[in-house]
Formats: sequence, C-alpha cells, structure tokens
Amino acid sequence: MEAFYIILLVGTVLVLVAALSSLLAFRFGAPLLLVFLSIGLLAGVDGLGIQFENYSFTFMLGSLALAIVLFDSGFMTPVHSFRIAAAPALTLASAGVVLTSGIVAIAAVPLLGFTWLEGLLLGAIVASTDAAAVFFLLRVSGINIRDKVRSTLEVESGTNDPMAIFLTVALAELVATGQGFSGLNAHFLLLFIEEMGLGVLFGLLGGMMIVWVLNRFTSDRGLAPIFVLTLALLVFAFTGAMGGSGFLAVYVAGIYSGNRKMFAKPQIVRFNEGLTWLAQIIMFLVLGLLATPSQFPAILLPAIGLALFLIFIARPIAVWLSLLPYDFTQQETGFVAWVGLRGAVSILLAIMPILSGVENGTVFFNTTFIIVLVSLLLQGWTIKPVAQKLGLIIPPRMGAIDKIELDLPGTAHHELISYRVMKDSPILGGERIPRWAMPSLVIRDGRSMRYQYAGRLREGDQVYLFISPAYSKLLDRIFASQVPVDEDDAEFFGAFAISPARPAKELDAAYGPGLLSANEQNMTVGDLVTSRLGGRADYADRIRFGSIVLIVRDLDEHEHVRSIGISLEPVEPATNLPIFINMREIAHRIRDLLRKYRGRPVPEKKG
Amino acid sequence: MALADLLQQDAIIPALKVNSKKQLLQELAAKASKLTGVGEREIFDIILQRERLGSTGVGHGIAIPHGKLNSISSIKGIFARLESPVDFEALDDEPVDLVFLLLAPEGAGADHLKALSRIARVLRDQELVAKLRKTDSATAIYAFLNEEQANHAA
Repeated sequence: MEAFYIILLVGTVLVLVAALSSLLAFRFGAPLLLVFLSIGLLAGVDGLGIQFENYSFTFMLGSLALAIVLFDSGFMTPVHSFRIAAAPALTLASAGVVLTSGIVAIAAVPLLGFTWLEGLLLGAIVASTDAAAVFFLLRVSGINIRDKVRSTLEVESGTNDPMAIFLTVALAELVATGQGFSGLNAHFLLLFIEEMGLGVLFGLLGGMMIVWVLNRFTSDRGLAPIFVLTLALLVFAFTGAMGGSGFLAVYVAGIYSGNRKMFAKPQIVRFNEGLTWLAQIIMFLVLGLLATPSQFPAILLPAIGLALFLIFIARPIAVWLSLLPYDFTQQETGFVAWVGLRGAVSILLAIMPILSGVENGTVFFNTTFIIVLVSLLLQGWTIKPVAQKLGLIIPPRMGAIDKIELDLPGTAHHELISYRVMKDSPILGGERIPRWAMPSLVIRDGRSMRYQYAGRLREGDQVYLFISPAYSKLLDRIFASQVPVDEDDAEFFGAFAISPARPAKELDAAYGPGLLSANEQNMTVGDLVTSRLGGRADYADRIRFGSIVLIVRDLDEHEHVRSIGISLEPVEPATNLPIFINMREIAHRIRDLLRKYRGRPVPEKKG
Repeated sequence: MALADLLQQDAIIPALKVNSKKQLLQELAAKASKLTGVGEREIFDIILQRERLGSTGVGHGIAIPHGKLNSISSIKGIFARLESPVDFEALDDEPVDLVFLLLAPEGAGADHLKALSRIARVLRDQELVAKLRKTDSATAIYAFLNEEQANHAA
C-alpha cells in the first residue's frame, strides 16, 4: 500500500508542476507542450531517476488521452469551419500524410540505414500534425488569421491522426512480420476503407446518440459532462472493437454533438476544456518519462537531420501538392506548411514498432522523440512571427470586450449576458442598446441599480442583459473598445471600396473582362462574393478574380456582406521560386512563358 | 513602373477650384480630354460609372478615380490638387483634396491594375502628401511625385 501512495504522490506532484509551469509558459510564450515534455524528461530515468518503461501501458493511456483530445477538438469545431475547410483539410490529412511518409522515407533510408519499409514506417509515425499543439498555438497565442486557413489547419490536425495511426499500425505489422512490400496490396486498401468508413459511420451514429441521451435522460448539470465523456469513450471503444478507427469516430462524434443544441452545454465545454488539459499534461509527461535521453546521442545527428528534412522539405512539398487544387495564396500555403507541428501523437505512435516487436524499435522511438522536440522548438516558437512576416495576420474586427455569458435554467430561449463597459466603446459614444435586448441591472462602483435608474452608462459599469442566445454576438460590437486603425489595413483590405449592392457586371466592366462566369453576370457584387465563398462570407475572406482580389471588409448584423475592398495587387510574392503556388498561378506562369517564347509582350513584373 | 511614365507635368492641375465631386470629375474629364483628344463626355461617363461601383476615395483626403477607354493608346494620369476639399463619399468620410485620375486603354489589363496600386502606395506616404498639400506649383508637385519614385527605387 505504501508503494501506491508514493506513486500517487510522485504522479500528482508531476502533474501539479506541469500545471504550474503553464503559467510561466504563457508569460514567456514557450510552447507549453514542450514544457510538459521536458518535465517528464527531467523526472525520468536520466534525470531524477524515475524508472518507467511500461510501453504498452503508456500506449493505452496515451490513446485514451488522445481520444479525449480529439473529441474535444471536434466538439469545439463549428460546423461552418468544417464546411469551409473540409476539402483542403481532408486532402492534407489523406494525400498529405501519405506524401509526407513517402518523402520522409527517402531521407530516412540513407540517414538511419533503414529499409524502405522501415523508412515508410518512420514517415507514417511523424506524418501527423498534433491537434493539441496546433489548436493550442493558434487559439491561445492570439494569432488572428483568415478563417479558412485556421480551419484548414485545425481540421487537418484532427483528421490526420486517424490516418497516421492506421498507416503506422499497418506498416509496423508488415515490418514485424517480415511481409515487406508484398503486404501493400488490395487487402491493405480494403482494410483502410473499412476502418475509415466504420469510423465515420459510428462517429455519426455516436454523435447522434450523445445528443439524444443528453437531451432525453439527464437533468443534472453536474452529471451531464460525465455522460458526454463516457459516451464519447463508449463510441471510441465500440468502434475500435468493431474494427473501425475509434479515433476518427470520436472526432466525428465530437463535431456532430458539438454543433447541436444540448443540455448544459456550457458546463460540458468547461469540463472538456479542463479534461483536455489534463489529458495533454498526462500524455506528454508520461511520454517524457518513458524516454531515455542517454540513448539520444547515438542517433542525435541523423535525427536532427531528419527533423529539418521533415520541416523544410517533406512537409512543404506534401502541403504544396495537396493544396494545389485549392485557392490558397502562396503565403497561406507557406504558413500551412510551417504549422506542421508534431507532438504527442507521433511519440505515441513511435511506441508501436516496439510493441509489435520490430527489431530496432527503440531507434524509431528515440528518433521520433528528437524530431518532435525539434519541431516544437523551431515551429512552436516561431508561428506568430512567421504569420506576421507572411502578412497573414488580419486586423481585429473589434476591440477588446469583457463579457460573461450565464446559462439560465429551463428551456433556453433567453440568456443572461453581462458586459463591462469599455473605454471608447460605441455604447459610451451614445449608441443605443437594440430593442431586442433587455438590460436589467447595472453594477456601478460596487452598487447595483436597475437599468432604468442608472442613467447614462459610464466606463467600468457592469451591465446585465437578457437576450435571445441567437443575438449574443451582435451586442459585442456596441460594448467593444475601439480598434486602433493600422497603416497596414489598407494593404490588407485593399485600396478601394466596392459597394456590394452594385451589379457584378460593373466590376467586370471596370477590371475585366472575363472575371465572371455566365450565371454570375446578373448577380450583385455582394451575392457574387457570397456565392464564390460557398454561401457564407466571413470577415477578411478573400476571393481572387483574375488579377484582382475582393476582400470582405465588413458584415452587417445578419452576416451579409456590408463592405468590400478591392486589392489590385494581390500581395506580392515573397519569392519568385515556383513553390507553394496553386494551379491557377501555375497556369498563369506557363501562359507568360509561352508568350515570351513567341516573342509577345509579357505583363511587366515589378522589379 | 515609374510615376513619370504615367504623369506628365502638363497633366497636373496645381490649384483646382471646385464645389462638388461631380464638378471635380467634370474638370478632370475636361483636362483629360484636352490631353488625349477623347471626348470629355465619354471620359466623364466612364469614371462616373466606376464611382457608382464604390467611391475611389481611399481615405486621408485622397482619391484615385480610374477607368478604361477604348480610344487611348497608353496609360494616362492626371493629378489635381484642390484649393479646398470636397466631399467624395470616401470610406473614412473625409473630404478629398488630392486626386489622381488614371485612364487606361481597354487592353491594358494587368498594367492598369499595377499602375493603380503603385499610385495608391505612393500616395499613402504621409510626408509626401503633406508636401503636395503645401505647394501650388505644378513643377514642384511633379518633382515631389517623382522624387518619391526615386526614393522607392533606391
């Protein structure tokens, strides 16, 4: 019994240290996950000397933690993000993963003396981007980038794990059983289709079940999150047991249920958030504990070489090829390539060769560990500067707000929401609270008063309003502080304004011809933009028409386009190297080359 | 692409007196007509058409009206400095007192757009704009606009 207490003591102290260190990490901007990993390393066999070598236990614990993280990523992904990003993200998660594995293999064979199949296995292990790392870095570090790029990265990081897991498990088996490439046959493909198909199917059914059970059977707010968690794990386990990809299923179930009306949702979200933190901390800690740094020097150089190869060659090429058919700018493709953070999933997968009895299993594990360290260090630390350098950071739509949403008991047609009145906010400037909002209480200098008797609002007042949940976002603007106008905004939003109400034909007349397709001739500019964006425009969305780019500058309260900017100089390419450009640009360049070849004038390039 | 390619000294109106956006566009069209030989009405209609699509006032008192004409052979710029600013329905609601009109041949394509963004960028330079506002000499304006060009090329 004494041993139990000691183990628990050590475990809790480690988790506590990790949780505390997050405070420091926020302050210094260090990639938090790296901190957790380091604490594990420090406490481990070559540091404080905790002996921990249970690979299969770690694999199970890690898988469980990953399932929780994936469920939460899905749960927090708005269906709108999923819709706009699904096609590019899924291409990245499928073709991208295969390409990355293949390209990594090319370098792994000579660097580590691997066979081709082993190289592919290592490639598959490091092929997936880490959902936790990507989510964390994009959300928490406050990088405001275009919705489509962010969503693509987030959805990619959630969906490529199942793909990489499948590849790793399958390849590890081929290597361990000595089947070699002969195992890569039609059966392999069928297995893949079966796993992913079942994953999606059970994920959807599971999502429906979660929503149904929650809305039908629960009446206790405290229990609701527990129901969600256990049901999610049920989906995970059941799908796995049926031969499907449990990871895919739990992610899909998360997306489905996260986008439905559900009982006690705020509590569930908060609970999941906390649990995801715990899952990540434990996953990274345990993986750090498991590693044996004293073995690292033996493969340090080739591993670092591989890491750099992955970061600078394999991932960029895979991303570029995967995104060819989609309309991403050169800068955006470059950014997607850079945000290829590896993380716990890769290390977790690196246990697989050891578990399946691959001969040099620890080489896989140690190499992967170093690759992940390099990736977290190099990319994790530089995401924001890189986004800035590439000109991808979009100006904030509104200033800071201080808002609290309170869930009301009973059927929720009303929500209680509270704002602190910010300096320079429109409400202080005399703008009225819309009629559909019911302001009821004002707290000023610690005294509460009814809104009717409060007179004019003052800075620092806390205002409580009842509103319909659907309108919740619309009030933000009124209570937000002013956004400082930036000089670069003109570059970002284009020099000129276009009125969305005008006929699109006029746009063609002024900047065409040939910008519009036949059925776009009769649209207004606003409709044109919305239709090209797939039915829903978002702040700072950009669409290219030939040589011009239209940018959504502002939306009205019904999310219709209110103002459009036109950029005549689609952000100058950072490089003239033909990398990261999409198919349309390739076509343009080939056309230019042909013209040059025939001695016809080419549109002048600015030098 | 240098501004000198787009703008000759005789295309500068250093101290224009107008009371409205419409009158401003008419004066610009008249000047452009003189320089290109194209009918005043035709030019006016083209740039007015563009203004309907959205004001070309880019903010900070600057406007860059533009349009494409069948009947000219090269890109043509006209610069006007107003004695007193007029309302141009600009995005920031500030009245406009510096105007660069750009006319391009129908087939100019990318060159037209590049010239426009070049002008927009040059006129975003606050120091230059302040200097332009202070003088009413066409020679000085011409020199300022091209000096800026030289700086950027360096």
